[in-house]
Amino acid sequence: MTVWVFRLAKWSALVGGLVLVALTLMSVASITGRALIGLGLGPVPGDFELVEIGTGVAVFLFLPWTYLRGGHATVDLLYDRMPAAARKAVSMACDLLMLALWVVLTWKLWDGMLEKREYLETSFILQMPVWWGYAASLVGALIGCLAYLTKTLINLGLAQYPQGWPVQHAGGH
Amino acid sequence: QQVTLRVHHFLPAQGSIPKTAIEPWAKKVEADSGGRIKVQVFPAMQLGGTPAQLFDQAKDGVVDVSWTVLGYTPGRFPRMEVFEIPFIAPSHDRSAEVMSKAAWDFANKFAAEEFKDVKLLAVHTHGPGLLHTKQPVTGLESLRGMKIRGGTRIVNNMLVKLGATPVGMPVPQVTEALSKGVLDGTTIPWEVGPSLRVHEIVKNHTTFGGDRALYTMAFAFSMNKAKYESLPPDLKKVIDANSGAALSAAFGKAMDEADKIGRDIALKAGNKITQLDVAETQRWLRTASSVEDDWVKEVKGKGIDGAALLREARAMIKQHDTK
Amino acid sequence: MSSIELAAWSFPILLGLIFIRVPIGLAMALCGVVGAYFIYGTPAPLLNQLKHVGYTTFANYNLSVVPLFLLMGQFAALGGLSRSLFKAAEAWVGHWRGGVAMAAVGACAGFGAICGSSLATAATMGQVALPELRRAGYSGALSTACLAAGGTLGILIPPSVVLVIYAILTEQNIAKLFLAAFIPGILAAVGYIIVISVYVRLKPDSAGHMEPAPMAERWRALASTWPVIVIFLAVVGGIYSGVFTPTEGAAVGAFGTGLVAWLSGGLNLKTLRESIYGTAVATGMIFMIVLGAGLYNTFLALSQLPQELAQWVIGMGLSPWVVLAIILVLYLLLGCVMDSLSMILLTIPIFFPMIMGLDFGLPPDEKAIWFGILVLIVVEVGLITPPVGMNLFVINSLARDVPIAHTYRGVTPFVLSDLVRTAILAAFPAITLFALRITS
Ligand code: NA
Ligand code: NA
Repeated sequence: MTVWVFRLAKWSALVGGLVLVALTLMSVASITGRALIGLGLGPVPGDFELVEIGTGVAVFLFLPWTYLRGGHATVDLLYDRMPAAARKAVSMACDLLMLALWVVLTWKLWDGMLEKREYLETSFILQMPVWWGYAASLVGALIGCLAYLTKTLINLGLAQYPQGWPVQHAGGH
Repeated sequence: QQVTLRVHHFLPAQGSIPKTAIEPWAKKVEADSGGRIKVQVFPAMQLGGTPAQLFDQAKDGVVDVSWTVLGYTPGRFPRMEVFEIPFIAPSHDRSAEVMSKAAWDFANKFAAEEFKDVKLLAVHTHGPGLLHTKQPVTGLESLRGMKIRGGTRIVNNMLVKLGATPVGMPVPQVTEALSKGVLDGTTIPWEVGPSLRVHEIVKNHTTFGGDRALYTMAFAFSMNKAKYESLPPDLKKVIDANSGAALSAAFGKAMDEADKIGRDIALKAGNKITQLDVAETQRWLRTASSVEDDWVKEVKGKGIDGAALLREARAMIKQHDTK
Repeated sequence: MSSIELAAWSFPILLGLIFIRVPIGLAMALCGVVGAYFIYGTPAPLLNQLKHVGYTTFANYNLSVVPLFLLMGQFAALGGLSRSLFKAAEAWVGHWRGGVAMAAVGACAGFGAICGSSLATAATMGQVALPELRRAGYSGALSTACLAAGGTLGILIPPSVVLVIYAILTEQNIAKLFLAAFIPGILAAVGYIIVISVYVRLKPDSAGHMEPAPMAERWRALASTWPVIVIFLAVVGGIYSGVFTPTEGAAVGAFGTGLVAWLSGGLNLKTLRESIYGTAVATGMIFMIVLGAGLYNTFLALSQLPQELAQWVIGMGLSPWVVLAIILVLYLLLGCVMDSLSMILLTIPIFFPMIMGLDFGLPPDEKAIWFGILVLIVVEVGLITPPVGMNLFVINSLARDVPIAHTYRGVTPFVLSDLVRTAILAAFPAITLFALRITS
């Protein structure tokens, strides 16, 4: 079961990365168009907005994998000298707190999306509904909730680490 | 008991409105309440978020009072957009005061629905908006292909009609964008120029002949409703006495005063101010006039009679202008 | 408890959480949320704030430069740009005493010019240069130390993620900060090379010997670094001259390095996936800290502690130079246990207004830029100061046969050279501001 959550998180990061690559290409196209304004070309309309929305969506998609991969910045100063039980407790508390924070954030992101939809807010240039960005971000946020839940279950001994997914805690960070 | 009001806005503390309108308001509220209200002003988005979030921050009680540009949330205040329609504002040196009085009346009479979630303290506009550009703008043709910043949806629509390439962004980002070449110019009133040091980066300013200004933008100074309701009656009275038509006019007047200072600073810096003659201004007016038609059609989709609102707004502006 | 006391207490609590290995971004978010709850007295405003804080923090044009620079660093490694830099430097100076280590530092400086992250620079150049250093007979201590120190050039030499974050927090011009960072960055590289040459004279057995390369090969190796030079000129030149924004510059850099990697056969579907995972994890780490720091900073601002603290320091009437020295020493101490980005995010909102309120005989713009460069240097020293130095860990994990204690010992002279440089740049602002003044 848990292997599917790990796969999902990894795919999610991949999709986020492709969004980033797309933003790169779009920015280069926009700069080129702007440089060739004399030839009747122009920048990609709303290029700034697209970069903004794309980055937001990509970051939400990156976060689950960052967590499962043990990629968040930590300081190991005292940890190495703590008794095993204390280490286990800290690690479990972190998983639980992360899960709690993310569930609240996702719930509120949902509320925020409904509000933006109700108020019909749009972007400046493309006049694209703002709630679309919120909705796309919700996908990554929900995968995040799943990932933190899985991690918590594993830590509580209620689930198993998937086979063949060596999740290393990066040393020192 | 002691009440603390947290006021949040997007400009640096030394900006003209923060210094000549918000700070005096805070001092007056503190004094009138006999020290029972304490006002903490947080400039430059110190409490987090973006300028576009400020209205919601007051609505949601994240802060108690916020000051922001209504157009930073395109689509949110369709009725108030009437004040951004090109060439609706007068161009004289009391423009913002007149427009602000009209905007306050209009907001209460025709756009109350858009402010129903907050306790509205003031609504106002800035003075005549103009162009600040790296290359001089001497006529409609000079704008072609220039990347110009517009602060709201309507202003950006206008820039498209005038032949420019619009870039939408809140005003605090303008300095960096101009100095980086992301922009060839910006639309702003004279007022905010000095605090953004626009006159140091661009050397050309274009104003318009005749009695109408290119454009203006509407601002709201809003208070959290629950916070207002929670005040004891005597403190409510203090807030009431320091809000409404008079406060709106005071914000507008501060804008007008700051416009003069901003213009003087640009002149002192040796910048070139081009005033387009009445005939050329008429060409701009005609070219931009479809912004108005488009707007009327567009808000019709939201069940709003734009033509009637325009008529009412123009009448209110005229009424306050002749007083 | 007054809100100022609350904020004052939050510091030791935050540090405590961080020290027992709560992820830094999570710890800051928790302290910020709990602290704001106490100040508001009800959960409603806080929950309302959370409606938009996630999306608007991540969907931010200025911050979008971060993942793009990270992607650029990944592509640069794939395209063999790191290898060609090291080979060129080795061909020219490898036969000097300590020459291969110097070449590694030089290659780090070159890579730093197209990469905005110290960790990425350390990791990339570590992979390329570490095997060569060991093969050439360099000691574990010197090999790992020179690469860990060289890695800091990734941020000291523009483009630089830390400077971008500083610019965003303090509303300064990114292009000007990049320009000002250039001379101090070169000085850092020169300082490290001097350290190596002294080191190998004091400990002759820590370096091996290499035959000089023939002249033709040297020129060939140098010529093969042209893509690096072109990309650097396009990215930094484009940003500084105002042709494009830093975000667009990063996009151009990612595109250019990606193109080189693709043409050289290094970029295929498999390696693209690996670079995306690398970018994703590093981006996720940074943005989680940005999110946590945003929540924590809102709480600090609400409490009015930074404002009061700045007033208090100014009221004490200490000489501005003493205040500056205290702040820099504080950074060095924090740097022993914290990473650079979280340090900046945590402290700049407090220290920056303090510095701006003091008189160093500089106009505000120059003061902001000079202070930014000093902060940049001291937080980068933190990457190589034991016990917690991210670059030390990264390089050490690549050299499995070298005990971490050897790396700690080897890096000490490099840290000393950093301290000397910091003192010089603090005492003579004109060095930092030189490039800025001649171009304006
Ligand atoms: Na760099
Ligand atoms: Na350190």
